Amino acid sequence: MSNLNQLSITEAAQKLQAGEITAVELARACLAEIEKKNKDLNIFLEVYDDVLAQAEAADARRKAGENHPLLGIPVAIKDNILIEGRRVSAASKMLENYVATYDATVIKKLKEAGAVFVGRTNMDEFAMGGSTENSAFGSTKNPLDPSRAPGGSSGGSAAAVSAHMALAALGTDTGGSIREPAAFCGLVGFKPTYGGVSRLGLIAMGSSLDQAGPLTRTVADAEILFNTIKGKDALDSTSIAIQGPTLAQGSQGRTLKRKIGVPRHLLKEGVEPDVLAAFEKSLEALKAKGYELVDVELPSAPLALSVYYVIMPAEVSSNLARFDGVRYGLSLKGENLIDDYAKSRAAGFGPEVRRRIMLGTYVLSAGYYDAYYGKALVAREKLTEEFRKVLGEVDAIAVPTTPCPAIKIGEKSDPLSMYLLDIFTVTANITGNPAISIPMGMVEREGIPLPVGIQLTAAHGDEATLFTIGKDVE
Amino acid sequence: MISKEEVQNLAALARLELRAQEIEGLQKDISNILDYVGQLSSASVGSDGENIKVAGIVHNVLRDDVPREAADPMAGKEEKVKEAFPKREGEYNVVRKIIQKDE
Repeated sequence: MSNLNQLSITEAAQKLQAGEITAVELARACLAEIEKKNKDLNIFLEVYDDVLAQAEAADARRKAGENHPLLGIPVAIKDNILIEGRRVSAASKMLENYVATYDATVIKKLKEAGAVFVGRTNMDEFAMGGSTENSAFGSTKNPLDPSRAPGGSSGGSAAAVSAHMALAALGTDTGGSIREPAAFCGLVGFKPTYGGVSRLGLIAMGSSLDQAGPLTRTVADAEILFNTIKGKDALDSTSIAIQGPTLAQGSQGRTLKRKIGVPRHLLKEGVEPDVLAAFEKSLEALKAKGYELVDVELPSAPLALSVYYVIMPAEVSSNLARFDGVRYGLSLKGENLIDDYAKSRAAGFGPEVRRRIMLGTYVLSAGYYDAYYGKALVAREKLTEEFRKVLGEVDAIAVPTTPCPAIKIGEKSDPLSMYLLDIFTVTANITGNPAISIPMGMVEREGIPLPVGIQLTAAHGDEATLFTIGKDVE
Repeated sequence: MISKEEVQNLAALARLELRAQEIEGLQKDISNILDYVGQLSSASVGSDGENIKVAGIVHNVLRDDVPREAADPMAGKEEKVKEAFPKREGEYNVVRKIIQKDE
């Protein structure tokens, strides 16, 4: 049987359950693809040496009567999610040889379901970036056009699924790090409601923004993964229980209004014309399926990127203070203790990480706190309120996921121009709303068709609405 | 543009040793980013700042003050934590002496 690695989770789960294929065959198909392409594309930082053994165990569990849609499904894991006993580096020299001491809650849940972990995927160092060029271990190439980046920071996870090296992947999303690479690699990328998925065992970047979520070929696959990893966790006090499994008509007891809000005031400039055209086409298709398009206003949305680039570095500078070379990670000796810290951190962190730590230290320092961090918190609250209001009127808000298709490797050398790629994605992290990116067609660059995505944002806890509308977009 | 001294002071606060050639770039980058996020101060977001809530559906989570070892992901992992230590001697984890005699 050929091309098993190109199946969706849904298709593979059916074949596994029907006994037409085995988890071992699936795993072999993915490993063969990795063998062929990983060296050139630099997608996996490590392919686990026990993939076949994991697959055998999954086959045995199925024989014993278990039947979970993820049982025996090969999944790639971003290198900032802890799996006990395996290396996890956040693509940083700081943690190059670090071995996880426990399972992240999302991993624990995937193990219970019987997923097969293929390996850990490349990413921007500590998830800081939108192209995977900030990895300490080299850029990942976009499988659809190797001169381009796969997006980031979950670029390795997106590329792994896009290149059929795994059927799905887990990523993390702090400002778009699942949705942007999904858009650039032609996949579905989903960031759950803040708290919908436990953050225990994720290497923290911005703790009020971070969420783990799936990168998959279809919306149904994203739903399967989300339903497996979601849930309240006693060990993450910010986690919440999201009610209801798959519903045909919205969650939270709501009925779909079949209305989609489009904030046209945000699309007047900055979006490349053919991306905008693909977006309009995708909206028309929704209209044809009976959705009403409503113009909505989000007056504070133009501030979102500024809010993000204050709050995120502030949290980064605090979270990354733990990497001091004393208890684990890279440890260098200086003249005295302070010097030990400074030397270890200088050698362990790459330029973008250092830049964000410095920026965060600046916006939190006495004298600047009110002007930046204080203002950002107020704007964050305003924006959250504006989303809450609009999402009382419509089921979801639609925008293009990114203003352009995948960028060339090396194209954006100035940090601010790279940050502008996040303009439509950061908002959902700031407000905590769930958001999904779904392929909305192709645009051509230098003769090569490249995918772009449409992003839908729903009310807090209303993931079911995103899955329902998402399936109508596909 | 923020000054060289400001960058050096930030680096000291952040416990980062900077390479000499890095300072100028950081002055430029940090200034550019601060210029961009400066739109926050010009926007009308200042006056109603008294009742800031944390965004979204976040609220305080409290529990009874009782141990819950069963749920502790670190329970029984002492050996693994020790193994991660950068420097060990026999049974001991080695750290730098931080109390020093005044000369």
